[in-house]
Amino acid sequence: MTEKLYQVETEKAIAKIKEVEAKTVCIQLPDGMKPYANEIEAELVRATGVRVLIWLGSNFGACDIPLGLERMKVDLLISWGHNKFVKRVEGW
Amino acid sequence: MVNVLFLDAPYSGKVELCQETLDYITKFKKVALYASVQFVGKLERVEEQLKEIGVEFVTSKADRTSVKSQLLGCDSYHDSLRLEDDFDAYLYIGDGKFHPLALVYGQKDLKEMKEIVRNDPLQEKMFLMGVDEIAGILRKYRGSLVKFLSKSVVGVIVTIKPGQEQFRPALALEEKFPDKKFHYFIDNNVSFDQLENFNFIDTWINTSCPRVGFDDQEKFQRGVVNLNDAYFAAEILAKGSVLNRVSKKKN
Repeated sequence: MTEKLYQVETEKAIAKIKEVEAKTVCIQLPDGMKPYANEIEAELVRATGVRVLIWLGSNFGACDIPLGLERMKVDLLISWGHNKFVKRVEGW
Repeated sequence: MVNVLFLDAPYSGKVELCQETLDYITKFKKVALYASVQFVGKLERVEEQLKEIGVEFVTSKADRTSVKSQLLGCDSYHDSLRLEDDFDAYLYIGDGKFHPLALVYGQKDLKEMKEIVRNDPLQEKMFLMGVDEIAGILRKYRGSLVKFLSKSVVGVIVTIKPGQEQFRPALALEEKFPDKKFHYFIDNNVSFDQLENFNFIDTWINTSCPRVGFDDQEKFQRGVVNLNDAYFAAEILAKGSVLNRVSKKKN
């Protein structure tokens, strides 16, 4: 899969799932990785047995995390392609 | 709040300047070096190469990033880079145009535009970027600024995304422009197909991702300007800037 070009680092995802004892995770992927969502899901399920929900929508940046995940009882969101975002409260 | 784990998906390959970039970039004394998150952790070789060819570089940690030299697509206003040093051109490392286009937009209000040299490690190629990339958008954007100043009923788009939501700064518009009537619209992703249903709106202000005001300009039939440009619309229109110069040129 994309591992050739970009490191997917599923081992970090698996470690986090185990650490927080997540039962349901949401995975959010940049457009280039979306075709491999099934492979990532399979790897996470194989290693942890977690239920994976794939975010269908946008992944514009770390400023764009899915809303309403609590209602779906999601314990952990794993978002690929970005790092921590520091919001400027006074505007751009 | 749900736990969140961000994974950078760093580039697996070698990150270095291709020969084409090395040959070209020697015309500059000093460059400002940035990269997208997939490449920013592997800039050592690039920095070495610049030293070898005698090109100085400066960089910074932009406001919204976690690491030095990282460029975000929303760094489309120069001050968010927090780069004080002088330099001759930008050198961007990464694939795609989305991120380096922020550097083009970020110079719209300056007198002159510095060139952006994009070195793509995947294609091992160099690309040059400048005002031509966005000339059409800037012309429309200038028109939207004029429209904003002349119209009375303004729709302000506020996203509910916590990372982008700017409701409080948006409310300050009422003090700055007491003669205008502002209506506030909330949404997650901006629903462009809904804009025309609100036909009482004369023109729009975007307070979500600043790239919406630029890249999606043509989706707003009644025009749109970004929040911080709305505050200073008259001043922006009066400058001897790239924006105003490019708008006077014919296609």
